[in-house]
Amino acid sequence: MTDNNFLSVSDLTLLIKGVLENKFSEVIFTAEISNFKRHFSSGHLYFTLKDDKSQIPAKMWKNSAMRLPFEPKDGMKVLVHGSIDVYIPHGSYSVIVSEMEHFGLGELLVKLEKLKQKLASEGLFDADRKKPLPEFPRRIGIVTSETGAVIQDFKRVAAKRYPVLEILLFHANVQGQGSVQNVCKAIAEANKPEYDLDLIVIARGGGSIEDLWTFNEESVVRAIAESELPVVSAIGHETDTTLVDYVSDLRAPTPSAAAELILPDKVDLLERLAQIESIIKTNVTGRVQNIKAVVESFSKSYILNRTKDVINDNKVKLDEISTELLERVNMKLLNTKNVIHNYEKILNSVSPESTLRRGFAIVEKDNNIVSKANKLVKDDKVVLKFYDDTRKAVIQ
Amino acid sequence: MAKTKEDTTSFEYSFTKLQQIMESLEENSDETSLDELIKHYQEGLQLIKTCRDKLNDAELKIEKINSENSK
Repeated sequence: MTDNNFLSVSDLTLLIKGVLENKFSEVIFTAEISNFKRHFSSGHLYFTLKDDKSQIPAKMWKNSAMRLPFEPKDGMKVLVHGSIDVYIPHGSYSVIVSEMEHFGLGELLVKLEKLKQKLASEGLFDADRKKPLPEFPRRIGIVTSETGAVIQDFKRVAAKRYPVLEILLFHANVQGQGSVQNVCKAIAEANKPEYDLDLIVIARGGGSIEDLWTFNEESVVRAIAESELPVVSAIGHETDTTLVDYVSDLRAPTPSAAAELILPDKVDLLERLAQIESIIKTNVTGRVQNIKAVVESFSKSYILNRTKDVINDNKVKLDEISTELLERVNMKLLNTKNVIHNYEKILNSVSPESTLRRGFAIVEKDNNIVSKANKLVKDDKVVLKFYDDTRKAVIQ
Repeated sequence: MAKTKEDTTSFEYSFTKLQQIMESLEENSDETSLDELIKHYQEGLQLIKTCRDKLNDAELKIEKINSENSK
């Protein structure tokens, strides 16, 4: 048994390609355009043609696209002329569009517009319903798919801007079967007091209008309207707008933009802290300097200086007094000396010596002073005391 | 709203308190007593430190909630 006995995948694909492309070499059908993209350099158009049950990928080459009388847009209903093309490497088929006619707004968008007006008339989109967002969220809930890139993007921005944040992830399928119920339940769950959240972010990455359709569903819009916590929507890219964006309290163009809008920036906060620090320091330094100035001015005041003067005056006085006292003592001493000197003089003047100097002499007999002449008789031996010396004499 | 009592360990609490202190300093700087001024000063610098530490040291916390809506 060799491979040659059987068809290969490419043989089969080639057969299918032959059958399909022959059978559907020219098809005309109505469809709605979605996921429309114009290749930026080649100018070929890539989009999906769909109705409410089915969809086919479509391409329109540049030379055909140039003849289009209108600019195709998502949601447009069109009449398509084209052929089926099978792409062998993928085994996939698509429509090569040769011509396209505009059929007016797609039914989907008409329905959407009706729903939007109904909800608006109920006041669900009113500005006065919008709840304010906290300046510094502590804990937030995010309703999104746990597997998508959205939560990673959000985490990255949040960690950089405001790392003190706590995030609770409420997983919900954000596309396809069950997504509407998932999202509604997640919003209700996040509102439970036990989670103690400050706000809810509902996020989903970019996609076609069909991919984002969950966020145009009435029950999702109502679930957000009933939320007690503020809700921030971040659905798709900047150009995508869903009804959820109208009902939410804040619309962010993308999930990472949501993180930027709701979270303060660490860099700004650190700068503000530095400013506050300098204000507090300047303020207190200023006050302390004021107090210093008051103390200084007081120290220069008259009262204090008067006291100082009194003290200084007294010091001088004390010096003066002590000097005077000393002088008086000295004077007294001097006087006393003089008195003594005078007494000495007087004493000297009354002593016999001075009399003797004047030529008198003292007569002594047997060591007694002889004061009368009749006390002496002939041959008495006497001593004559002169001022300078003594002499012996005999009375005749 | 599912607001519980004020969480004194949160950044929000410290930062709000700091702003209040700063406002009171700016508004009645001449009326506050020196004691109060010094109290505000010390408290303010402490709060600045708390806020800075929180911002610089915190790591983003993320928790997955397994509610019945998880598939």
